[in-house]
Amino acid sequence: MKKELFNSSVVHPHKAGFKSKLAGAILLFSFFLFHFSFFLETAHTQTPQATRGVIRLKIKYKSGEATKELPRKRFFLIKGSLEENRSLIEKIKQTATLLRECYYRSKGASAALIKWLNENDCESVYCREIDGKYLTGSEAVPEFKAAYDAVLRDFKNPELARRWLTVNLPAELREGFYKQKQELLNALLKQAEETTRTKVMSVMTDRKGTAYLTDLEPGVYTISNLVASETEKTSILWACEKEVKAVDLAIAMRRPVTLSNEKDPKVKCEIVERPLPVCEQTAK
Amino acid sequence: MVNDEPKRKVTQRISQWAQRIFLCVPQRKTPRPLRLRLLMARRLASVLVPIFAIGAVAISAQTRQRKRVPKPSPIRQQAPKSSATKYSAFLHSSEKHQSLACNACHKVPTEWTAKRVFPDVADFPNHDTCVRCHRQQFFTRQAFIATGPAICTVCHVRTAPREEGRFAFGKPNSSNQATKAKDERQFTIEFPHDKHQNVIASTNPAAPSHAGARIVRVSFSISDDKKPDYNNCSVCHQRNDYLVIAPLSPQAEAATQSNKFFKTMPHSHDSCFNCHWKNQKPAGEDCGGCHKPSATFVAQTAPKRISAMFSHEGGKGEHVMECTTCHINITRAGTLRGLTPDVPIAACVTCHKDNKKTTYPKITTIEEEFEQYKKTARCTYCHVEDVGKKKPPASHEAAVQ
Repeated sequence: MKKELFNSSVVHPHKAGFKSKLAGAILLFSFFLFHFSFFLETAHTQTPQATRGVIRLKIKYKSGEATKELPRKRFFLIKGSLEENRSLIEKIKQTATLLRECYYRSKGASAALIKWLNENDCESVYCREIDGKYLTGSEAVPEFKAAYDAVLRDFKNPELARRWLTVNLPAELREGFYKQKQELLNALLKQAEETTRTKVMSVMTDRKGTAYLTDLEPGVYTISNLVASETEKTSILWACEKEVKAVDLAIAMRRPVTLSNEKDPKVKCEIVERPLPVCEQTAK
Repeated sequence: MVNDEPKRKVTQRISQWAQRIFLCVPQRKTPRPLRLRLLMARRLASVLVPIFAIGAVAISAQTRQRKRVPKPSPIRQQAPKSSATKYSAFLHSSEKHQSLACNACHKVPTEWTAKRVFPDVADFPNHDTCVRCHRQQFFTRQAFIATGPAICTVCHVRTAPREEGRFAFGKPNSSNQATKAKDERQFTIEFPHDKHQNVIASTNPAAPSHAGARIVRVSFSISDDKKPDYNNCSVCHQRNDYLVIAPLSPQAEAATQSNKFFKTMPHSHDSCFNCHWKNQKPAGEDCGGCHKPSATFVAQTAPKRISAMFSHEGGKGEHVMECTTCHINITRAGTLRGLTPDVPIAACVTCHKDNKKTTYPKITTIEEEFEQYKKTARCTYCHVEDVGKKKPPASHEAAVQ
């Protein structure tokens, strides 16, 4: 008996058949397992990535005869069509335009300060460094001079006083306009996020009026600046609808989504363009 | 039989001894007479009673003396005794430190005139700040074992009475690393780029150059960059001509790969305090407005090139765009920790794609890079070897569709 067990050359014909069947089954199973795992890997690595992409925004406006690009303005991407965001669109249309010059005049800002802001289309005093020529001389801004003197009294360092003078500007002039605008925007964004239950994406245009919205998935979106942007003569509010297809995300770099104040039958837009009002000086 | 008796006794004794030792069997003793036991008890009592009496008097006297010592105020509670080495590592995250306000230790500003040209938190808190809780770690005999009080090495390079060498402020010995003064951070900095981009937004591309020396707000680098001041990033980020970074690929191409395009990052409070010193929130005294506690990490102070062989100075001058034209994601980040100036492929294919409208002559396109990959399994036009040998991601494939 023991001898039989150890004698490998003696194999029962039924056992040999079973062994070959088992080997075949294992081979078949491993074949399917390999293909299944390959499928899983491919699905895992490719599917989510391929469905996300970029759209390139280009913002232009016609002012007189010239067409210009709109630089340094923030645009928002809200999930859903114009109709789906109707209540928000109506609200932003009715919102009174917050004009920089009118705001600063209402706070009693000097003409020199308003000129300084207008020179570089600055919405706040932080947008550029304040040169010495704005402290004394013909271009001097009285608000800057007063703040400079206050810092100089504290630190006795003229260079430091010039660089840090904004810390001593009155709050209304320093950040009042920005804060007021942000309060307005935050209320609108809150409404948009509550309606769509998604986070609103935002991007600022560069000097050529271009902006990229990245990591997007296909869908219908509303693109808007929410608060009218000031140009030379008018303020413009955009609320445009864009259906982003998977194929658009791949070709977006070649074909930008262009928003303009001119009528374009290809783009579904609601544009409100208003002439800039004359602001009244409020005596302080 | 006669000879067996002592042998048996010896064996019995050994067995009893072994039981006593290993099995804890009590030793059987012959009982003493009662009178003897009473006598012994009386003698023992006469010795022990005076000893206990003296001890009780001494203890009560000591207790009365202790009551006279006033209770320490909560802020002066001494840190518990522990191993000396424990206190060589300073952690803001310890339970006690967390319970304190920042200005309990840090004076805002410190004596800054000797160290800075602007008011700043420029130095470690003074000795009193540490000693009021850590007297035991400084002055007990245990503290002076071996090299001296380990707590000193939180700020000082060596433990010695007249040792004045200290680590740079902001980089205390925060863990038990072999080499001290690593650039370990215990706070991350909240800095919403988007909000700052809003307030500095200005349409004039070229900031007027100042007569004479130009004020560099953030760093010690000198900028002679005459190029336009795009998108105002240069309010905080200057061109850094002093940064030395190893070239990506060796020798032949090294000359064409200038690293001078890297920009400085604000490293001092000056670039924050010039707006946020007071009034503008978070103001200078509100340390927690920007500095958020985090797990200790080693900050990457110099940029590291890991992927693209891009040169800002290359592209025959066409690479000079606005910073945020390519560094799209920067403006979305709210914190500076883990912030990378990554550029999505979308920004590259604006030009580097087979397209008559946007492609410049003799430009290397992404399609060419893919062709090269098919032949050599390497993407070496744009990438370093380590990254170039990997399979191009789906985003790159989508870009050529």
